[in-house]
Formats: sequence, structure tokens, C-alpha cells
Amino acid sequence: MLKYLFAKEDDIPQGTTALFFAVSSIAWFIIGTGLGSFNAAKLAFPDWYHGLYALQFGHMRQVHVHAVIFGWIAMAFAASMMYITPALGNTKLWSEKLGVWNCLLYNIGLCLALALLWTGITSGREYSDHIWPIDLYIAFVMVVPWSLNVWMTIVNRRTQGIYTSNWFFAGCMFMTIIVFLVGNLPEWFHLTGLNEAYMTWWFAHNILGLLITPVAAAITYYIVPKITGNPLYSHRVGHLHFWSIVVFYSTPAAHHLMSSPLPEWLKSFASVEGVLILVPAVAYVCNILLTMQGKWSLFVSNIEIKFTITGVLLAIPLNMQGGFQQTRAINWYIHGTGWIVAHAHLALLGFSTFAEAAAVYYGMQVLLRRKLYSASLANFHFWMLLIGFSLYWTSMTIAGLIQGAAKIYEVPYVDVVIAEHPYMIVRWLGGTMVFFGNIIWLYNMVMTARAGVVIPAGRQPVEIAYTR
Amino acid sequence: MAWTFNRPLYSLSSEDQNKEAQHVWEHESLGGIAENNNPLPRPVIGLLILTYFTAMALTFPLYGQRPSAAIYADYVSLMNSTMVQEVMNDKSITHDQANSRAMAMIEDSLQHFDSPYTFQRAQHPIDLDQLRVIAPQIVELQHAGVDLEEYTVVGPTVAKANFFNLQPDGTVVAKQPWWDKGYTIAVWWFIIFCAAVIITVKRLPHFSWRPDHTIAH
Repeated sequence: MLKYLFAKEDDIPQGTTALFFAVSSIAWFIIGTGLGSFNAAKLAFPDWYHGLYALQFGHMRQVHVHAVIFGWIAMAFAASMMYITPALGNTKLWSEKLGVWNCLLYNIGLCLALALLWTGITSGREYSDHIWPIDLYIAFVMVVPWSLNVWMTIVNRRTQGIYTSNWFFAGCMFMTIIVFLVGNLPEWFHLTGLNEAYMTWWFAHNILGLLITPVAAAITYYIVPKITGNPLYSHRVGHLHFWSIVVFYSTPAAHHLMSSPLPEWLKSFASVEGVLILVPAVAYVCNILLTMQGKWSLFVSNIEIKFTITGVLLAIPLNMQGGFQQTRAINWYIHGTGWIVAHAHLALLGFSTFAEAAAVYYGMQVLLRRKLYSASLANFHFWMLLIGFSLYWTSMTIAGLIQGAAKIYEVPYVDVVIAEHPYMIVRWLGGTMVFFGNIIWLYNMVMTARAGVVIPAGRQPVEIAYTR
Repeated sequence: MAWTFNRPLYSLSSEDQNKEAQHVWEHESLGGIAENNNPLPRPVIGLLILTYFTAMALTFPLYGQRPSAAIYADYVSLMNSTMVQEVMNDKSITHDQANSRAMAMIEDSLQHFDSPYTFQRAQHPIDLDQLRVIAPQIVELQHAGVDLEEYTVVGPTVAKANFFNLQPDGTVVAKQPWWDKGYTIAVWWFIIFCAAVIITVKRLPHFSWRPDHTIAH
């Protein structure tokens, strides 16, 4: 990376930025899931580690959350955008040099941000935990340059039309900057009470709804037609998906605070919009699954499609849960329980991660011009991820239902802890499987760079046979 | 950017605009990817309509809302009656037995009277220990002459309800409504969304036109 920081733009090979972001994202995925596994072990076996204060659960939880969101999820998005956006515009990335600097400063900023969280320097607000100088760094050093590269690449495209994925990329980056700056206002203006709570959850909801979910969907809009060779089922359904995301995902923040003293009319509005999140979900899943027509064999034989379609299928329970769990009738039962933890992991480790893993697998092969080193290791990674995630999701969902029942029937807390213990162990087991699967993934990608079969010019990775 | 309104459900673009869009659609390769022009399948349209009505029906305040203090007023009166108090204070039986017998008497008595709160009582059952906690607060509110429908029971506390129904005279009524302005906003929000998306897709060539992807690929 260092040799490109001061190189001329024309001397930096195309795809360099995407590759650096992709490798960083895998590394952060390993770190993030390693931290998650450590945290889960603390919950499953509370007495096993009493060492450093900084390594206790209260500190480590935020570090895990931000390592996976800003490290894995966001950097894999950046990697995907840096090669998909120019590809869809038949052009090159607006500035590889900006991208390389962006990637370096992103990694430095994330290390600094996590170090501060580790030492207990935090705003104290869930999901917007960083202190305001870090917020400004994230906004203007990490996200704005990334967005600028995406927007300018689209502006400088050599096509008249803009493909669906690129609407999402451009729109979501714009909305993310707004959400980030407005959502962190409580930190800058010292808002307290209900205003603070509402803004905090407006931020948390919209980071998920206007960045993580739609960008993951946009990636699949590229991967599925590209690998299957089928045209996207419908451009017009893409419109429905995009605009319903903008309209219905941006508004229901109050449904995170159904038990709070917010005005009831605001909760009513948020709750209706919360169920209507199913509109983009139905449009999206319909569009992708119908694009797969005639190519379902790839779901078994092709690793990128296997990851992508698994992610799309996980979007179905994700949105069914998301739509209904926020209604008053259900929220009073599951609010503040492990159910919500399971749901958050279904979004991030289920739908989003599977879509992104596909994009990183595909992108690195295309950019390195090398076929994936080992299909067996990739399949091993897939199953470790899927089984590990499934164990996590089901165990935490069950634990959440137990907690919900205990909350309603006022069961003593210690009895709830005892009842949940087996599920905490399963959670740790599932999370650890994901962690080990990711180490294998990194090895596979390093070996792809070193020893993967060279892909001839003009050919796609999917057209080349595996040698292992 | 000319618009035509001759056949709004077919297309809002002129024939020339549609021909130009079709030409671009078929002649450019978006990074090797193409797009079709299919409509939503009809069962999916049905699913979306069902989703909308489910969203409206499922979120009504009546369901899962906190109980109003008014639904327990009769419980409190009956609990304070001599007959029930005798059972509650009967030292020859256990506390739990006394509770369940007293509650059975209260519920049996309530069944003899019509009440607008029957449904809500079924939604928010209460036991005698909880009733003991909230009863003094309800009695105090009754003495103060306030409308109990404007108060909700939140765990052990009877608190002013969190509804703000602004009346024409400027006063605020805190009664739980069957409809509030959140729903009105939601209805308009949805209508405007539908109109905007319909206008957007009707600017495209009609869905009966199928692009030929062999031209650019």
C-alpha cells in the first residue's frame, strides 16, 4: 500500500483501492468475530477470565460491535463499491490515489476509535458510542472521501443509464452522511432525556436501514446477474425497492422506543412504517429470486451464488422479524431480550455478511485475475459461517423468548440466568465457528493471490475450473 | 422531459421518449449486466396490499397497549366490598388461597354487568396482589374526580396516559384513541409514496415491451 500513497494516479493499478479495502475487511472480520467469541465466552463462562479491566464485557462489547460494523461490514462495502461502481459505468474509479489514502486513514481511524472505546472513553450511547472528535474523523476522513469516489465515478461514467446497484450506492452514501452527522447531534449539543434517546435510535435504526441493508442488497443486484448471466428480473421493481427503502426505512426510529414516553402518535406512525419495511423486502427478494430463473444449479456449484442467495433467503426471516417485532403487541414481550441480539445478528452476520462475503470472493478473484485457490476451503468457510450463525441465531432467539417470559411473569433474575446458560454456551460455540471459518477464508484468499490459477483476459472467474 | 397524459396507466412518456429509452436500454452494456422490464408478479402485488392492511390493522393502539386505569375501577370497588374483604382477611386459609377465592368472587360479580371494558380486561388480566398495589392510587384519582381513562397502569404505578389528542378548544385529552394522527400521517405517507413510485415507473416504457439483450451483449 505504502508505495502507492505518493505514486501518480496513472501509476496506480485499477482495483488497488478495492483490493486494500477487501483485505482489510477480512482482517477486521477476523478481529471482530474474535472479539465476539471472547465476549460470548464471558457470558457462557463468566469466571474464566478476570484479568485486565479493559478486557471486561462492558468495554469489549462496544469494541466488538464497532469492529464488525466499521471494520468488516463497512470496509467490505467500500471494497465492493470501489470495483462495482466503475464496472457498472464502464469506466475506472475516479481516484485510486484518494481511495488508497482513504483505506489507510480508515484503518488508522478505526484503530484509534476502538482503542478509545477499549479504554472506556465513550459517549455512552449505544451504536453511536464514539466521542465527538472520532465522529468528525469518521464522517470527514473515512466516509466523505469514500462517498466522493463513488459519486464522482458515477458522474464520470461512460454509460447513459445508471444500473440499480449504483443508485443504491450513491443514495445510501448520501443518506449515511446525513444520518451520521444528525444522529450524533446529542454528543455535540449535549442533548439529554427523550431527545437524546430518540436521536440515538434514529441513528442506530438508519445506519442499519439506509446503509447496511440496502448496500448489501445492491451488491447482490450486481453479483447475481453478473455470475448467472441472466438480466436483472426487473428495473421497475428496483425502483419500488429503492424508493420504498427511502420512504419506509427512514421513518420508524420510534419503534425502538415503544415503551418510552414518546408521543403515542409518533409510535403509531413508526409502527405502521415498521411493518411497511416488508414492502422493499418483498420487492427485493422477488427481484433477485426471479433473476435466478434457470440458473438454480449455481446455488450448489458456485460459491459466490451460494453465499449471495443464502443471504437473500436470510433476508426473508430478517424482515418478517423486523416488521412485526416492533408492533406494540409483540414488542412489550421481546424488548430488551436476547431476541433482539439474535435479530441484529440476523441482519449483520446473516443477510449482510453473506452478501458481502460473496462480493469480496468475487471481487478479489476479478481484481487479482486469479481463480480462487480452493473451492473446498471456500465451502468449509461457507458451512462454518452458516452453521455457526444458525447456532447463534436460534440459541439467542430461544434465550430471548425465555427472558421475555421471565420479564412478564417477574421470574427472579438469577433463575433466568440459570435457564439461559445452555443457550449462552451454544451462542459461544456458534460465534467461535464463524471466527475460525474466517481464518480459513483469509488463508484461502492469501493463497489465491499467491498461487491461484491465472484468469485469462476477457474471461470470468466462474468460467475457469477449480484446480483444488 | 415532456409528459403525456393520454394513457397514464400505460405510460407517462411520449412515444419518442419511449423509443429513445428502449434504444439506450438495448444498446448499452452496464458492465456486462442487463436489466429486464418485468412488472411485479400479481401474487406479489397481492402480498404487498395484504402487507399494507396488516400494517394498519396490527398496530392499532388497542392491541398491546398499556391498560387504562378505568378498566380496573370496578375491580377496586369490588375488592373493597365487605364480602371480598372478609375472604381476603380470612386467617384460616393461606394467602394464595385467599387471593384466588377473592379474585374469583370479583370476576364472578363482574360477569353480571355489561361493561365497555370487557375486551380490554381480557387483554390485561390482573391478580389480587397487583390490584392491592394500584387500588389506593385509583381510589385517590376517583376522589380527585379525574377521568380514569386518561390514566394508564405501568407496573405498580398509575400514571397520566401518554396521549395528546388536541381538542378544537385547545385542551388536550389523554384518552387512548382508536385512531390517532400517527395513522393519518401514515395513510398520507403511503398514498404519496404510491403516487411517486407509480409516476416513476410509468415514465419507463410499458412493461409489455421486452428488451432484446442480444444487441449489446
